[in-house]
Amino acid sequence: MTTDDDRIAYLVDRDPGGLDAEDREELDDLAAILADPAMWSWPNPALEDAVVGAIGAVAGTPTADVSPARETPSPSPFGPRRPTGRPRLALLGAAAALLLLAGVGATRLLGADQRGPDEINVALSGTELYPGEGGEATLRRFDSGWEIRLDAAGLPRLDQGRFYQAWLRSDTGVLVPVGTFNEGRDVVLWAGVAPTQFPTITVTIEEADGNQESSGQRVLAGRVGAT
Amino acid sequence: MLDKGICVRFREGDPEAVRAVYRAYGHLVHAVAWRMLRDRGLAEEATQQTFLRAWQASLTFDLSRELAPWLATIARRVAVDIYRRESRRAHDSIDDVASDAPAVVTLPPSVDSVYDAWEVRQAVAELPADEEEVVRLQHLGGLTHREIAERLRVPIGTVKSRSFRAHRRLAGRLGHLQERLT
Repeated sequence: MTTDDDRIAYLVDRDPGGLDAEDREELDDLAAILADPAMWSWPNPALEDAVVGAIGAVAGTPTADVSPARETPSPSPFGPRRPTGRPRLALLGAAAALLLLAGVGATRLLGADQRGPDEINVALSGTELYPGEGGEATLRRFDSGWEIRLDAAGLPRLDQGRFYQAWLRSDTGVLVPVGTFNEGRDVVLWAGVAPTQFPTITVTIEEADGNQESSGQRVLAGRVGAT
Repeated sequence: MLDKGICVRFREGDPEAVRAVYRAYGHLVHAVAWRMLRDRGLAEEATQQTFLRAWQASLTFDLSRELAPWLATIARRVAVDIYRRESRRAHDSIDDVASDAPAVVTLPPSVDSVYDAWEVRQAVAELPADEEEVVRLQHLGGLTHREIAERLRVPIGTVKSRSFRAHRRLAGRLGHLQERLT
């Protein structure tokens, strides 16, 4: 196995023993980043469709998917820049201007008169696949869309390529996927369509087989306004 | 760097433009979010929120600038929001803390550390595949040159040369290393 010194030596192509403390500290930081599994990760391929779907749903463009996400809006938390005169990574040069840009955080708010309810509770009932099962969903409006907190703790865990998928459905039968999960406890989903227009919530059993359509194996269902 | 037309169409929510932006930067957003949040699921949530917020704020984006650092800034802000939310969730009440527990204050990652991670992730992604694999085995796997040679079934000299070239490329891509190599 390599030592920390070995890895620093790879980075600087020489014996790291002669490095001064500040150099060594920065190289240790870099080595730590390179040793982080996150740096070598790739996101779930389904996330691409989820991102496109989420933006498309909010933008009103035709989309295929909307996936789980959560958000708690909060003010910009940026702290002070690191006070160093040493050259840092390339992105740092533009940071101050970018902080201002991002701090604007312009959002496309709905008009107050168009908002409707900000929170909706829906009771979920088990279908013939899980008779007697049940749960509840709480839907909360944010500027970015609708957060759906779902609790159906009695659902057995699914994994190894099988999972639950939640959907919102309009009265005309249009299905919008709102996320997938393995078990029903403390599930948080995200929807870019309004439950007032897509008032039926269903949960189905799905398999990771590349088929984006609903399997039709519904285990839970509920409707806005039925509680 | 994505062309201006893609950025304009991204503003409009054009699905193909959103997809192009995601393909260019999604893995970077995901990597820094995961590094900050230490949870793959939360990182995916942060990735989606980052692109959604970027689109929402896209009218403020200066098209003469690069999109990447702007997205990195938003990614950090989203991850910090989620980080704080999860921290609150994990410690709802002081009564939940044992009386003999040491005081712990956890600070969000700095702006610099996020940019560092973003830059490193991007630099690694730009390496040729065979060099990236060697660097991954060295730093993530902690393997020696000899162990890597055995793992990849290539001569140790090949591993050394790939390692040397890869780290040279990283040094060229990551400016603060470059000064140490000259």
